Amino acid sequence: MARKVAIIASNGSLFDAYKVFNVATAAAASDSEVAIFFTFEGLNLIHKEGHKQLPIPEGKEHYEEGFKNSNVPSIPDLVEMAKELDVKLIGCQMTMDVMGLEKEHFVDGIDVGGAVTFLDFAENADVTLTF
Amino acid sequence: MNSDKVLDAKGLACPMPIVKTKKAIDEINSGEVLEIHATDKGAKSDLTAWVKSGGHELLQDSEEDGVFKFWIKKA
Repeated sequence: MARKVAIIASNGSLFDAYKVFNVATAAAASDSEVAIFFTFEGLNLIHKEGHKQLPIPEGKEHYEEGFKNSNVPSIPDLVEMAKELDVKLIGCQMTMDVMGLEKEHFVDGIDVGGAVTFLDFAENADVTLTF
Repeated sequence: MNSDKVLDAKGLACPMPIVKTKKAIDEINSGEVLEIHATDKGAKSDLTAWVKSGGHELLQDSEEDGVFKFWIKKA
Protein backbone atom coordinates (compact mmCIF):
# COMPACT_ATOMS: atom_id res chain seq x y z
CA MET A 1 0.00 0.00 0.00
CA ALA A 2 1.45 3.35 -1.03
CA ARG A 3 2.25 5.95 1.59
CA LYS A 4 0.14 9.06 1.65
CA VAL A 5 1.85 12.43 2.09
CA ALA A 6 -0.20 15.53 2.89
CA ILE A 7 1.51 18.93 2.60
CA ILE A 8 0.33 22.42 3.50
CA ALA A 9 2.13 25.24 1.66
CA SER A 10 1.40 28.56 3.33
CA ASN A 11 4.44 30.67 2.46
CA GLY A 12 5.41 32.22 -0.83
CA SER A 13 9.15 32.73 -1.22
CA LEU A 14 11.48 30.87 -3.55
CA PHE A 15 12.86 28.96 -0.56
CA ASP A 16 9.39 27.82 0.43
CA ALA A 17 8.75 26.64 -3.12
CA TYR A 18 11.84 24.44 -3.08
CA LYS A 19 10.95 22.98 0.31
CA VAL A 20 7.45 22.11 -0.86
CA PHE A 21 8.16 20.83 -4.37
CA ASN A 22 11.37 18.95 -3.53
CA VAL A 23 9.66 16.94 -0.81
CA ALA A 24 6.52 16.49 -2.91
CA THR A 25 8.29 15.25 -6.04
CA ALA A 26 10.68 13.05 -4.04
CA ALA A 27 7.71 11.49 -2.25
CA ALA A 28 5.77 11.00 -5.48
CA ALA A 29 8.85 9.43 -7.10
CA SER A 30 8.93 7.02 -4.16
CA ASP A 31 5.41 5.87 -5.07
CA SER A 32 3.65 7.93 -2.43
CA GLU A 33 0.29 9.53 -3.08
CA VAL A 34 0.84 13.26 -2.54
CA ALA A 35 -1.49 16.22 -2.13
CA ILE A 36 -0.47 19.83 -1.46
CA PHE A 37 -2.88 22.39 -0.09
CA PHE A 38 -1.82 25.92 -1.10
CA THR A 39 -3.11 28.62 1.19
CA PHE A 40 -2.37 32.33 1.73
CA GLU A 41 1.10 33.23 0.43
CA GLY A 42 1.51 29.59 -0.54
CA LEU A 43 -0.75 30.32 -3.51
CA ASN A 44 2.20 32.17 -5.09
CA LEU A 45 3.84 28.80 -5.66
CA ILE A 46 1.20 27.81 -8.23
CA HIS A 47 0.22 31.27 -9.51
CA LYS A 48 0.58 31.24 -13.31
CA GLU A 49 2.99 34.20 -13.43
CA GLY A 50 4.03 34.35 -9.78
CA HIS A 51 5.62 30.90 -9.61
CA LYS A 52 8.10 31.89 -12.33
CA GLN A 53 9.47 34.82 -10.35
CA LEU A 54 9.27 33.97 -6.68
CA PRO A 55 11.20 36.32 -4.42
CA ILE A 56 14.30 35.29 -2.51
CA PRO A 57 13.78 36.27 1.15
CA GLU A 58 15.15 39.69 2.00
CA GLY A 59 18.81 39.66 2.95
CA LYS A 60 19.37 36.25 1.35
CA GLU A 61 19.93 37.48 -2.19
CA HIS A 62 23.48 36.13 -2.10
CA TYR A 63 22.05 32.62 -2.40
CA GLU A 64 21.08 33.34 -5.99
CA GLU A 65 24.58 32.43 -7.13
CA GLY A 66 24.42 29.15 -5.23
CA PHE A 67 21.15 28.22 -6.92
CA LYS A 68 22.78 28.69 -10.30
CA ASN A 69 25.98 26.84 -9.40
CA SER A 70 24.31 23.81 -7.89
CA ASN A 71 22.13 23.32 -10.96
CA VAL A 72 18.86 22.97 -9.05
CA PRO A 73 15.80 22.65 -11.27
CA SER A 74 13.64 25.76 -11.73
CA ILE A 75 10.34 26.02 -9.89
CA PRO A 76 8.31 25.81 -13.15
CA ASP A 77 10.21 22.58 -13.92
CA LEU A 78 9.41 21.21 -10.48
CA VAL A 79 5.73 22.12 -10.84
CA GLU A 80 5.63 20.26 -14.18
CA MET A 81 7.42 17.33 -12.59
CA ALA A 82 4.95 17.27 -9.71
CA LYS A 83 2.04 17.19 -12.15
CA GLU A 84 3.66 14.41 -14.19
CA LEU A 85 4.01 12.39 -11.00
CA ASP A 86 0.30 12.93 -10.22
CA VAL A 87 0.82 15.18 -7.23
CA LYS A 88 -2.55 16.68 -6.39
CA LEU A 89 -2.39 20.49 -6.21
CA ILE A 90 -5.23 22.06 -4.25
CA GLY A 91 -5.76 25.82 -4.16
CA CYS A 92 -7.51 27.17 -1.08
CA GLN A 93 -10.87 28.55 -2.16
CA MET A 94 -11.19 30.92 0.78
CA THR A 95 -7.77 32.54 0.23
CA MET A 96 -8.49 32.82 -3.49
CA ASP A 97 -11.72 34.67 -2.69
CA VAL A 98 -9.92 37.00 -0.29
CA MET A 99 -7.24 37.74 -2.89
CA GLY A 100 -9.71 38.05 -5.76
CA LEU A 101 -8.12 35.18 -7.68
CA GLU A 102 -9.82 32.66 -9.97
CA LYS A 103 -8.78 29.17 -11.02
CA GLU A 104 -7.53 30.49 -14.37
CA HIS A 105 -4.93 32.63 -12.57
CA PHE A 106 -3.13 29.43 -11.63
CA VAL A 107 -1.13 26.78 -13.44
CA ASP A 108 -3.27 24.24 -15.27
CA GLY A 109 -4.46 21.13 -13.58
CA ILE A 110 -5.07 22.40 -10.05
CA ASP A 111 -8.06 21.55 -7.93
CA VAL A 112 -9.78 24.17 -5.85
CA GLY A 113 -11.19 23.28 -2.47
CA GLY A 114 -11.72 24.21 1.11
CA ALA A 115 -10.06 23.01 4.28
CA VAL A 116 -12.23 19.92 4.39
CA THR A 117 -11.04 18.84 0.94
CA PHE A 118 -7.53 18.77 2.31
CA LEU A 119 -8.49 17.27 5.67
CA ASP A 120 -10.32 14.47 3.91
CA PHE A 121 -7.06 13.54 2.18
CA ALA A 122 -4.90 14.17 5.26
CA GLU A 123 -7.11 12.16 7.60
CA ASN A 124 -5.34 8.89 6.86
CA ALA A 125 -2.04 10.31 5.61
CA ASP A 126 1.17 8.68 6.83
CA VAL A 127 3.13 11.93 6.67
CA THR A 128 1.79 15.46 7.13
CA LEU A 129 4.04 18.46 6.57
CA THR A 130 3.55 22.19 6.84
CA PHE A 131 5.73 24.70 5.06
CA MET B 1 28.68 -5.19 -13.55
CA ASN B 2 26.09 -5.72 -16.28
CA SER B 3 23.04 -3.54 -16.55
CA ASP B 4 19.99 -3.38 -18.79
CA LYS B 5 19.74 0.40 -18.78
CA VAL B 6 22.05 3.27 -17.85
CA LEU B 7 20.78 6.56 -16.43
CA ASP B 8 23.08 9.56 -16.57
CA ALA B 9 22.03 11.83 -13.70
CA LYS B 10 25.37 13.63 -13.43
CA GLY B 11 25.16 17.33 -12.64
CA LEU B 12 21.59 17.07 -11.38
CA ALA B 13 20.63 18.29 -7.92
CA CYS B 14 18.06 16.86 -5.51
CA PRO B 15 15.35 15.74 -6.17
CA MET B 16 16.08 15.15 -9.85
CA PRO B 17 18.28 12.03 -9.51
CA ILE B 18 15.42 10.31 -7.66
CA VAL B 19 12.75 11.55 -10.07
CA LYS B 20 14.81 10.39 -13.06
CA THR B 21 15.54 7.06 -11.38
CA LYS B 22 11.84 6.53 -10.81
CA LYS B 23 11.11 7.23 -14.49
CA ALA B 24 13.94 4.97 -15.66
CA ILE B 25 12.92 2.05 -13.47
CA ASP B 26 9.39 2.27 -14.85
CA GLU B 27 10.91 1.54 -18.26
CA ILE B 28 12.60 -1.74 -17.36
CA ASN B 29 11.19 -5.11 -16.40
CA SER B 30 11.19 -6.81 -13.04
CA GLY B 31 14.54 -8.47 -12.38
CA GLU B 32 16.42 -6.18 -14.76
CA VAL B 33 19.22 -3.91 -13.57
CA LEU B 34 19.35 -0.12 -13.79
CA GLU B 35 22.75 1.55 -13.59
CA ILE B 36 22.76 5.16 -12.36
CA HIS B 37 25.56 7.72 -12.54
CA ALA B 38 25.20 10.76 -10.28
CA THR B 39 27.30 13.56 -8.86
CA ASP B 40 24.83 14.76 -6.20
CA LYS B 41 26.51 14.01 -2.88
CA GLY B 42 23.12 13.25 -1.32
CA ALA B 43 22.40 10.59 -3.93
CA LYS B 44 23.84 7.72 -1.95
CA SER B 45 21.62 8.06 1.09
CA ASP B 46 18.64 9.09 -1.05
CA LEU B 47 18.91 6.16 -3.43
CA THR B 48 19.47 3.72 -0.57
CA ALA B 49 16.24 4.91 1.05
CA TRP B 50 14.43 5.02 -2.29
CA VAL B 51 15.36 1.42 -3.08
CA LYS B 52 13.99 0.36 0.29
CA SER B 53 10.70 2.19 -0.16
CA GLY B 54 10.11 0.54 -3.52
CA GLY B 55 11.25 -2.93 -2.49
CA HIS B 56 14.04 -2.91 -5.09
CA GLU B 57 17.57 -4.15 -4.43
CA LEU B 58 20.77 -2.09 -4.44
CA LEU B 59 23.24 -4.62 -5.83
CA GLN B 60 26.36 -2.48 -5.75
CA ASP B 61 27.59 1.09 -5.55
CA SER B 62 30.90 2.78 -6.16
CA GLU B 63 32.53 6.20 -6.29
CA GLU B 64 35.20 7.31 -8.70
CA ASP B 65 36.38 10.86 -9.37
CA GLY B 66 33.27 12.34 -7.79
CA VAL B 67 30.87 10.18 -9.79
CA PHE B 68 28.67 7.85 -7.79
CA LYS B 69 27.48 4.72 -9.53
CA PHE B 70 24.63 2.50 -8.44
CA TRP B 71 23.23 -0.77 -9.72
CA ILE B 72 19.61 -1.36 -8.79
CA LYS B 73 17.68 -4.55 -9.49
CA LYS B 74 14.01 -3.88 -10.07
CA ALA B 75 11.57 -5.73 -7.80
